[in-house]
Amino acid sequence: MSASVKLEYVSYIGNVLLALITGLAIGAIIISWGGYDPISAYRGLFETSLNIADPYYLAMTLSYATPLMLTAATFAISARAGVFNIGAEGQVFMGALGAVVVASLKLPDQLYLPMALLLGILMGALWGLIAGLFKVLRNVNEVVVTIMLNWIAYWIVEYARIYVYYDRYRPEKTISMPRSGVLPVLVPGSELSASFIIALIVTIIIYLVLWRTRLGYSIRVVGIGLKTAKYAGINPGLTMLYVFIIGGMISGLAGALEICGRPPTYAITTGASNIAGLGFAGISVSLLGLNHPIFIIPASIIIGALNAGSRGMQIRAGVPLEMVKAVQGLIVIALAVPGFTYMLRKWRIRKALRGETGD
Amino acid sequence: MSSRELVVLMKDIVKVYPDGTVALRGVNLELKRGEIHGLLGENGAGKTTLMKILSGLIKPTRGEIYVKGKKVSLKNPAHALSLGIGMVHQHLSLVPVFTAYENIVLGLKNMKPGKTEIEKLMDSTGLKVPLDEVTENLSLGVRQRIEILKMLLRNVDVLILDEPTTNLSPIETRELFKSLRSLKEQGKTIVLITHKIREILEITDRVTVLRKGRVVGSVETNNTNSRELARMMVGREVILEIDKPPVRVGEVALEIEDLHVMSDVGGEAVKGVSFDVRYGEIFGIAGVEGNGQVELAEAIAGIRRVLKGRILLGGKDVTQLSTRERYSMGLSYIPEDRRIALAMDMSVAENSVLTRIIYDKTLVNKMGFLSFNEILRQAMKLVKEFDIVISTFSSPVRTLSGGNQQKLVVGRELSREPSVILAVQPTRGLDVGATEYIRRLLVKMRNKGKAVLLISSDLDEVMGLSDRMAVMYNGRFTGIVDPRKVTEEEVGLMMGGYSIEEIRHEVN
Ligand SMILES: Nc1ncnc2c1ncn2[C@@H]1O[C@H](COP(=O)(O)OP(=O)(O)OP(=O)(O)O)[C@@H](O)[C@H]1O
Ligand SMILES: [Mg+2]
Repeated sequence: MSASVKLEYVSYIGNVLLALITGLAIGAIIISWGGYDPISAYRGLFETSLNIADPYYLAMTLSYATPLMLTAATFAISARAGVFNIGAEGQVFMGALGAVVVASLKLPDQLYLPMALLLGILMGALWGLIAGLFKVLRNVNEVVVTIMLNWIAYWIVEYARIYVYYDRYRPEKTISMPRSGVLPVLVPGSELSASFIIALIVTIIIYLVLWRTRLGYSIRVVGIGLKTAKYAGINPGLTMLYVFIIGGMISGLAGALEICGRPPTYAITTGASNIAGLGFAGISVSLLGLNHPIFIIPASIIIGALNAGSRGMQIRAGVPLEMVKAVQGLIVIALAVPGFTYMLRKWRIRKALRGETGD
Repeated sequence: MSSRELVVLMKDIVKVYPDGTVALRGVNLELKRGEIHGLLGENGAGKTTLMKILSGLIKPTRGEIYVKGKKVSLKNPAHALSLGIGMVHQHLSLVPVFTAYENIVLGLKNMKPGKTEIEKLMDSTGLKVPLDEVTENLSLGVRQRIEILKMLLRNVDVLILDEPTTNLSPIETRELFKSLRSLKEQGKTIVLITHKIREILEITDRVTVLRKGRVVGSVETNNTNSRELARMMVGREVILEIDKPPVRVGEVALEIEDLHVMSDVGGEAVKGVSFDVRYGEIFGIAGVEGNGQVELAEAIAGIRRVLKGRILLGGKDVTQLSTRERYSMGLSYIPEDRRIALAMDMSVAENSVLTRIIYDKTLVNKMGFLSFNEILRQAMKLVKEFDIVISTFSSPVRTLSGGNQQKLVVGRELSREPSVILAVQPTRGLDVGATEYIRRLLVKMRNKGKAVLLISSDLDEVMGLSDRMAVMYNGRFTGIVDPRKVTEEEVGLMMGGYSIEEIRHEVN
């Protein structure tokens, strides 16, 4: 890494801090405008998220970071290939549904977990593949296709939740994963389970794929320029298809892990509210982490902390849920702004590079 | 000449880029009113950097600039423009969907000049442009005229042109020079950056030679010659003539049969071309750019679709095979644009295996991961063998100077143990030293028994290197000739669409 690259990162972190302060400041204005005390609201936020003294809150932060890390990895690997894939949302839905399907079956105990994860991954991959085929074969814009597929997935899951896989005793949710199929909880009483470790490993694998394999090399060349890729003998369409499939697998896994690894329900709840929004939040995480798998890890923890702390804000400062959500969303967007402009600039530079270079 | 008024004086200019590269080490430059001043120097000598400083695009680390006697500190290009200094960059920056007129007046706040006014300017300078045509439909030569007109309408006294002739045909170059002369008559000062010594001798009044960030000398063009300039530039004698041992041809290596290739805009770019290249020979294709040469090369490499005809590599029909399969069969390809041949944001090391990554198994270790050691070894070999200047192996290739980027591409392609080398404009944008070096390499490859297909719009290059040559015009060959048995005039006519039979018939 050359000196100027390092310098670039330093200035980036500076920008993120600036964005964070701006987000917090505007949030404070909103909170006090609503008649609440911003100081105690933010104290509530941080004391129930990044509180080193209390492992429960830290565990909650990490548990919220888990799915975000994965959906961010989906966006990141696509962005590296120059594809703006926002289909993680729908792929999470399909992955979760896959796990619920397995939960509904009669199986030997030890098969629930592997089968649930496998079917989740496969269904996510299928959803990614469909988007990829539209993009590669018919050259349909990936943003349009993935948004449509997100909605289709949502309604499939809702239908399945209400009519097919509902829990006979608690019909507001689906059948839960049997005890034998859930991942161990790491911090008793919290929602942090071994799915965090799985997410961490997968994210690192994505890093290795991108920088240490032939496929990752091809992905990055495709992201730099189609002409260069073709010149290098790389098939851009096939490479993009791989990216969609891998992305779908990761987000499908994220969905399945929510079913197998998040106490207490281990199911999809009313309106799919416990799995909704994870894919979109992943975009912010990826942008904050400069679409780099390793940087995504701390980025997901930051956004996870905001999620974890929202309850504290509500309980400790009495801020109503709607306002908490608004402030939280504001800060998330603020945090993603520097990364977004960074990506745009890179893509613009890339375009400019086609017109200017070398001297 | 020396009594002329000084318009620009640059004193002791030093430029250190943020990454620590010292591009200029104390440069002095004087520009006089009404002169055409040539700027000559090897790749990476600092020509572009110096002119970017003068046009306000970047700031010098140290040094003083005087414009018309007054010391100035240029804040940005707009500031330089207000002082009458404007630069046309090598890679043009026009809005493709705008008309020529819209591009010319773009950014002019008050007083947009009318078309009649611009037409008057076009008449007085000879820079003719179809004002209502959409820019993306215009040739590079015309786009360049738009950029120059743009500058003139902003009343520049000092016009800087960075390698303006690199992408021009000989005819376009001649027209550009005519315009530059008339601008000079009107008292404008022109700075011309070029690698072509012939152009320097033809049009400049004075020439300043840079080497490694220093001025080697400023001389009156009348008092110098090509040998001296080449020596000043490179710091040693340059042999511009390359001698080749007589050709010892072998079997047919590459055979093209009645090839038809699609163009980007629909229709055929190549309309039925047949030829073969044998092991041990250089087969050249000359022609004005845009007559189907690039499309022909892309079809041979498997990047562009073939409509009709066959391509045989080593006797095997490869028309339906992928680029990857052709590369693994021993085809090497140096494309016309190094921005295609390199992944600019990726590292020097990664780029050193760009065309091997898809087929070379030695680059992958047993675990299925890329072998960094192997890649680095390859990169080190190239850097050493081809004398490429880099800062580190992990820095992005975009930080390399144009010449070093080109050396990386050529080095990579020639060291892949190819049997057929497809080289398109291999020396474009290179200084004489590097040009000589790469031409020598091509000849060396030929002597080693490789088949070389050389496509270039540089007539000297094709005629000097080829054993046999074709001239391409409008998607077809106007003839295949022995370069030692034709004159430049004849080839020039062939480039204009006359067949060799027609030409010889006319003469008799
Ligand atoms: N933005 C940059 N950052 C770092 N180094 C740079 C940058 N631009 C140019 N350089 C370096 O500065 C030196 C001078 O570059 P410059 O582009 O001025 O050369 P040049 O004479 O125009 O060469 P060429 O004939 O290849 O266009 C080179 O070593 C180059 O690598
Ligand atoms: Mg230059």
